[in-house]
Amino acid sequence: MATALNYDPQASNSFLEEVMSRSGQQLSACYQCRRCAAGCAVGDGTAPITPDRLVRLIMLGQKEAALSNDLVWKCVSCYTCGTRCPNNIQTGRITETLKKMSKEAKQAPHMPTVGYFHDSFVKSGLRWGRVNEMEFMGMYEFKHLMDKFMEKDYNGIKNEIMDQIRFALSMMKRKRLHFDFLTTSGRNEVKRLYKKFKKDQKK
Amino acid sequence: MEIAYYPGCSLKQSSNLYDTQTRDVCSKLGITIREIDDWNCCGATSAGKIDDFLAVAMPARNIGIAEQQGFTEMVIPCSACYSRTLVAQKKLEAHPDLKNRINDGLFRKVNGNLKVSSILEVLARIPKKTFKEKMTKKFKQLNAVCYYGCMLTRFPEDVPVPDDVENPQSMEQILKILGVHALDWNYKTACCGASAAMNDPDTAMMLMHKIIADALERGAECFVVTCPMCQLNLDMQQDKVCEKYGINQRLPVYFLTELIGLALGMSIQRLQIDRHFIHLADA
Repeated sequence: MATALNYDPQASNSFLEEVMSRSGQQLSACYQCRRCAAGCAVGDGTAPITPDRLVRLIMLGQKEAALSNDLVWKCVSCYTCGTRCPNNIQTGRITETLKKMSKEAKQAPHMPTVGYFHDSFVKSGLRWGRVNEMEFMGMYEFKHLMDKFMEKDYNGIKNEIMDQIRFALSMMKRKRLHFDFLTTSGRNEVKRLYKKFKKDQKK
Repeated sequence: MEIAYYPGCSLKQSSNLYDTQTRDVCSKLGITIREIDDWNCCGATSAGKIDDFLAVAMPARNIGIAEQQGFTEMVIPCSACYSRTLVAQKKLEAHPDLKNRINDGLFRKVNGNLKVSSILEVLARIPKKTFKEKMTKKFKQLNAVCYYGCMLTRFPEDVPVPDDVENPQSMEQILKILGVHALDWNYKTACCGASAAMNDPDTAMMLMHKIIADALERGAECFVVTCPMCQLNLDMQQDKVCEKYGINQRLPVYFLTELIGLALGMSIQRLQIDRHFIHLADA
C-alpha cells in the first residue's frame, strides 16, 4: 500500500491532472466519505482497493499502483459509485481512464483477459461496422489461448476449449449462435474519422 | 408518429428474438418504428474503455443518420446501446469542438434534436387504456421481479434519468396492467457483470448469485428484463452460477416484450420464448 512517505508533489500533480482532465472528473473534490466504497458491486473482491482508496492513490501520485490493481480491472462500470457520490465524481470513468493509460504506458495489463475482450470487441465493431459475435469471440479466445500457450499451460488450453465448445453447443441448440456476417456499408466514415483524430493527436 | 429504431448488433445475432418481439409488440400497440439505414455498432461499454473519441464517434454516426432521415425520436431496446448513444449525444452537446470535428467526417451530420429513448420509456408512456383494449389475456398469480440492471438509470455523464435512480418503477407499472404481480426486492438496479461473464467469470458469478438468491428469497417465479446482455447472462449462466453457490431452484428470465406479447395474445412460438435456456417448467 502507498504511504505518504514517498509523496512527490510534482509527480503526483502531473498524474492527478492527467487523470482529472482525461476522465473529466474533479478528483480533488473527494472528501473520503466512502459512499462509493459502500455501493461498489465488486468491492468485496478488490481489497484493499475501493474507489475512495483509488482516488487517494492517484492524489498521492502512485501511478504504478493506480494502474495495476484489482479494482481498475475488475470494475464492471456499473456506475453505482459515481451515482452516489455527493461530489459527483464518477469513479467508474476513472477506472476506464486508467485502463487506457495502462495500455499507453505499455504496462502489461493487470488482468489481460479484460483488455483483450474490450480490444477485440471494438476492433470488430470498427472493422465491419457491426460487431460479429463469433468473430470477436474468436479473436478474444485466440489472444487468451496464446497467453496460456506462452505459459505452457496446456491443461488450461484444453479446459478453455472444452468450455467454449460446450458454450457454443448450448447456444446452437437454442438457435442463438448466428452465422450470417453483419456489415455496415458506411463503416469507413468512422474509421477515417478515427484515423484523422489519431493523426491530429500526434501533432 | 414514426419513431426511429436502432436495434444494435446483439438484436441481430444472439438476441434476435428480442428484435422480432419488439417489432411485433410495438406494431400491435400502435407504435410505428422504422429501422434506421446502415447503422453501425455503438461501441457498447467497450469503446469507453479503449478510446474516448470512438465512444462518441461511433454512436454519433447513428444519431446523424436518424436525424437526417427526419426522425425526432429514436428508440433503442438494448440498454448498452441506449446508454452509450445518450451519453455520446450529451458529450457532443457539451463539446462543440468535438461535435464539429466529428461532423466534418460524417456524411449525415448531427444537429442535436433527436430524443434517444429506451424501449421502456416508449412502452411506459402508452396509456393504460390502449393496453386494456388490445389485451386478450391477463396474467393471474405470476410473481415477478423487475430487473433493470445498471444502464437504464445510471450513466457516466449527467443526463436526465427517465425513472427513479435507485428504485425505478416503470416496468412494475406495465406489469400491473398485465396482471403480473411485481415484487419488491433489493437487486433491481444491481449489475449482472455484463461482459465480465466472459473475461472475469468469478466476478460475474459472484454478482449474479446475489441477484438470483434475493429474487428467490422474495418468492419470485421469473425475472423481467429489457437488456439483452442481462437476459443472456442470467439465463445462460444461471445453471453454472447456481451450481457454484448451491442454489437448487431456477428462474426464467423474460424480456418485458415477451410478457406484453403473451398478454396481447401472441404465441410462445411467435415470441420465440422457446429459445431461452431456462423455462418456467424447469423452475
